[in-house]
Amino acid sequence: MLVALAVLCAIFASQSEFFLSERNLTTILRNSVDLSVVCAGMTIVIILGGIDVSVGGILAVSAVLIGRAYQYGMPDWVVILVGLGAGALLGAMNGAIIAKTRVPPIVATLGTMYIFIAVLFLVIGGVWISGLPNTLSFLVLGDFVGVPAGVFVIGLVYAFSWLLLRRTPWGQRVVAIGCDEVAARLVGIQVDRTKIQAYALLGLFAGIAAILYVARLRNVEVNIGTNIALEAIAATILGGANIRGGIGSLIGTLMGVLFIKITQNGLVLIGVSSLWETVVIGGLLIVVLILDALETRRVS
Amino acid sequence: MKDPLAQRMFFLFGLLIAAGVMGALLSPHFVQTSTVAYLLQYVPVLGVLGMAQTLVMLSGGPGIDLSIGATMSLVGLAIAGLFALGVPMVLACMIGLAIGGLLGAVNAFLVCVVKVPSLMGTLATFFAYSGLALALTGGSPIGGIPDWFGILAQGRILGIPVHMWTVFVPLAIVLHVMLTYTRVGSHIYAAGNDERAAFLSGVKVWRLRFGLYCLSGVIAGLAAIMTLSWFQAARPDAGEGMELLSVTIAVLGGAHIFGGIGRISGTVLAVLIVTTLQVALQLANISQAWQLAAIGLLLIGSVVADNAVGERLRARTRRAGT
Repeated sequence: MLVALAVLCAIFASQSEFFLSERNLTTILRNSVDLSVVCAGMTIVIILGGIDVSVGGILAVSAVLIGRAYQYGMPDWVVILVGLGAGALLGAMNGAIIAKTRVPPIVATLGTMYIFIAVLFLVIGGVWISGLPNTLSFLVLGDFVGVPAGVFVIGLVYAFSWLLLRRTPWGQRVVAIGCDEVAARLVGIQVDRTKIQAYALLGLFAGIAAILYVARLRNVEVNIGTNIALEAIAATILGGANIRGGIGSLIGTLMGVLFIKITQNGLVLIGVSSLWETVVIGGLLIVVLILDALETRRVS
Repeated sequence: MKDPLAQRMFFLFGLLIAAGVMGALLSPHFVQTSTVAYLLQYVPVLGVLGMAQTLVMLSGGPGIDLSIGATMSLVGLAIAGLFALGVPMVLACMIGLAIGGLLGAVNAFLVCVVKVPSLMGTLATFFAYSGLALALTGGSPIGGIPDWFGILAQGRILGIPVHMWTVFVPLAIVLHVMLTYTRVGSHIYAAGNDERAAFLSGVKVWRLRFGLYCLSGVIAGLAAIMTLSWFQAARPDAGEGMELLSVTIAVLGGAHIFGGIGRISGTVLAVLIVTTLQVALQLANISQAWQLAAIGLLLIGSVVADNAVGERLRARTRRAGT
């Protein structure tokens, strides 16, 4: 993955001298902050053996609530709490539906995505929320000791997720459930509770992403979050996670995110229409999936 | 009423009637004969996609085709593009169906030969196809479809849209007969119920699924032709959202997401329910948001109901076995 990333950067750098400029790299970083935060949660949910296609909806609802909270003149900390709370709550709702009713995660989150989008429409009423204050913008646009603040946000989220996944009993439970749910249940792991917690964590991260989104753009559009679920799943798979559960890597996912964002940025710079980016991502996914399958066949 | 599947049919009928009654209560315009024609206008496109999705799910695996809407967009563009290049319309449609089959075959290759989970494989092709549809056209629709071609989706026979008569009903009957009375049909159910047992009793499970993914592509092509005739233009986003809606319809109609259970008649009823709901809310001038919410609730609710039914069904077969 690292090699692929390097090759990609080399290609773009040779085609456009602007690509490696500090400003462009910062732009790429700022654009990837929301996606990478969501992806950390998505990786954990996929390792658990689940999937969540409703993260875009969660992000949208959190963002719109943040926007409304701002408009009512709430202080920053309330705004942040609203975003985090809404995200975690909606995520927990997904988890509860999946764990308690045994609806397959893809179907359940498909259903809740419809519902979240409905909520978005009802709250936003078809009009953009714009002109929000920039009190939180430093989180994405600011610098801290000369390093863009986004680096710290991503670093914190990934360090937290990594510790949670690899250094706590909770993380071991997640991996165990992803490897074999029935066995996990039989050895006494509380599968349902762990699932709800994992989906709530993803929701929480979507809430953080919503805060970052609002901080960066200072508005809330009607079609916010439409692509992020599929992009997040694509990045996670590109990063080496197995959709069947049990296997996945946070670092790999982060690479996957950078890969997608650099592709999007680079294509524009070398003068290819941005319309081609989904084709490239789709093609890449197909190649990675085939390579993956061949690899597993060779090993077994 | 011991048969859970029959119970499901009654449940769906009840839901359909409830949707109709709701429509009547919501809007004075709903109870008119013109509503039926209006409603049936929407049914065929969604209906054939739902049937394709049902077939893919039935054969198990677990099978799902997320690229179905993107395939539809791409085929529509291909047909309109070919016609613009001077290929006769009928031939262009034939080629379009073939392209649909080919796009389906890519899915089939990924899922059945490379053995990528269907969710991932078709997600990847969804990206690729919908991206291609946008990139090749630069986002603008291709028009110039001849007027006579509009007959298919805009004409009426006995007040019912032509594509209802010529595409939807025949396809539903053919697929129903295939599933219920032919060996292929029983093989599909067998593969969906227990892949290993089916394989050991000589069913060529993967070849069967390969065929079904191709068929799904062809049916998406049919949907593209109908949409083309309806709007007289091919839009690069014609099939947007169709993948999720078709899954919703298949699941609501009783198709089990892991395969082996489901009927075409259920899918047909589900399409009628969803369209009735949509039209009723539309006529009552209720925000589109509620339509989405209703579909989401229906989807989750129907799987919950389905799980209950499935459990009873399994319990019954266990009793029958002992």
